Amino acid sequence: MWARSLYKRIPMRGRGLMTLDFSAITPYLHMLLRGAVITIQASFLSLLCGSILGILVGAIRVSPFAPLRALAAGYIYVIRGTPLLIQLFLIYFGLPSLGLNLPAFTAGVIGLTINSSGYVGEIVRGGIEAVPKGQWEASKVLGLSYVHTMRFIILPQAIRNMLPAIGNEFVTLIKESSLLSTLAITELTMVGQQVRSVTYASFETFIMVGLIYLVMTSITSFALQYVEKRWTVG
Amino acid sequence: MRGVSNNGNDSASSSFVPALEVRDLRKSFGNVSVLEGISLSVREGEVISVIGPSGSGKSTLARCICRLEEIDGGEVFLYGDRIDNGKHSNRDIARLVGMIFQQFNLFPHLSVLENIILSPVRILGNSPKAAEEKAMALLQRVGLCEKKSARPNELSGGQRQRVAIARALAMNPKIMLFDEPTSALDPELVGEVLDVIADLAQSGMTMMIITHEMLFAKEVSDRVLFMDGGKILEQGPPDSIFTSPKVPRTQLFLQRMLAHVGKELVQAHSDERTWTHDA
Repeated sequence: MWARSLYKRIPMRGRGLMTLDFSAITPYLHMLLRGAVITIQASFLSLLCGSILGILVGAIRVSPFAPLRALAAGYIYVIRGTPLLIQLFLIYFGLPSLGLNLPAFTAGVIGLTINSSGYVGEIVRGGIEAVPKGQWEASKVLGLSYVHTMRFIILPQAIRNMLPAIGNEFVTLIKESSLLSTLAITELTMVGQQVRSVTYASFETFIMVGLIYLVMTSITSFALQYVEKRWTVG
Repeated sequence: MRGVSNNGNDSASSSFVPALEVRDLRKSFGNVSVLEGISLSVREGEVISVIGPSGSGKSTLARCICRLEEIDGGEVFLYGDRIDNGKHSNRDIARLVGMIFQQFNLFPHLSVLENIILSPVRILGNSPKAAEEKAMALLQRVGLCEKKSARPNELSGGQRQRVAIARALAMNPKIMLFDEPTSALDPELVGEVLDVIADLAQSGMTMMIITHEMLFAKEVSDRVLFMDGGKILEQGPPDSIFTSPKVPRTQLFLQRMLAHVGKELVQAHSDERTWTHDA
């Protein structure tokens, strides 16, 4: 009898816990997608600026001039050694005390840009150092200057070495852009929290939010794998 | 065998100013002294071979001349112009000296043709069309016209080194340095590279060849230098160095090297290789 009542209870409990009802959040789906668009905008801008800044930092990191090298090394050290969240807070909440009030979105993009430039800078350094020394020597005896050697010989080979790591960094950046929610930017995670607080359908909302992130990171990965294949031919 | 062809195309001034002059060159890495006062003079059109055991400083000497290494003491002159004082750009040096590496060092992301024309176009300011025509002529000279669109990784080691030679020649250098050009090659590919180098020697190019190919050195050079311990121990015409070396260290080195060559000769009896057969 005891066993029987137990048997009866399990399906009931199971139904109460396991049922997912996505109809509760469908009215808010367009809000989530609008949030995703903000995420894409912030990530894309940060990727672009962060990569450019990162290549610069990486190139300085291996420059023949020691003080510049140290400067870039220090920059990378600080960026990689502190949490992105603190970097974002410093820019958004800290800078106003210096009289610099930035809109949340701008502050967020600047924070992500600086953060990813540190990581990209380190990837670039690794990629450049992986190019054999003989390439530098051959360039020198053929009369190429440092800048020419970098541009025509070293970077084209280094970027090829770097692509897999850069792909990882892009994916990481998209995911970490969820921290922008702490600056009250209405990106995907922030909107997710809003939808949850209205519908109380926490599980459904965050599964949906997670899926949208997964789609964005997958597309990025596939695109980069395609580029990687194209570049490694020959 | 080369003396006659050399004298024909010398300009008047060059008979007075050596193409390359090194005075009391010193170089050390950390506290290891690699070159201990090298003095050397090469006239225009002369072909010298530098032989000696590994670690004797042969490569370092070549690398100091083309300024891949900073020197610690002494002077290096190219056509009377002192080039070790940092006043010359890479471009200035590249117009005077071409360097061939053991590991070829072709640019793997560029085609054979792009490897050759990069510097003439970017550094000498040649038009791409002119540079390409010149590159094709050079490729013909090294027998690789059909490979112009290939990437370096599609070529054999011997072909890569021939492309590297064409690439160096595209800068019109006055002196060519060869740093063990065949040491990284499979034995059966050595001959094709040595043929190209010999052909270049015949054409009157001033050359310094660091090599372990004793028979080739004997055949192709006007003068042979024996180096050991960062010093030039002995130098002279190939016949006297190879048949009657005066310094005991040279005798010992040649005994070992030529014993090795002798073995090779027997093994390669039916082989087509010029440079192991003829001697």
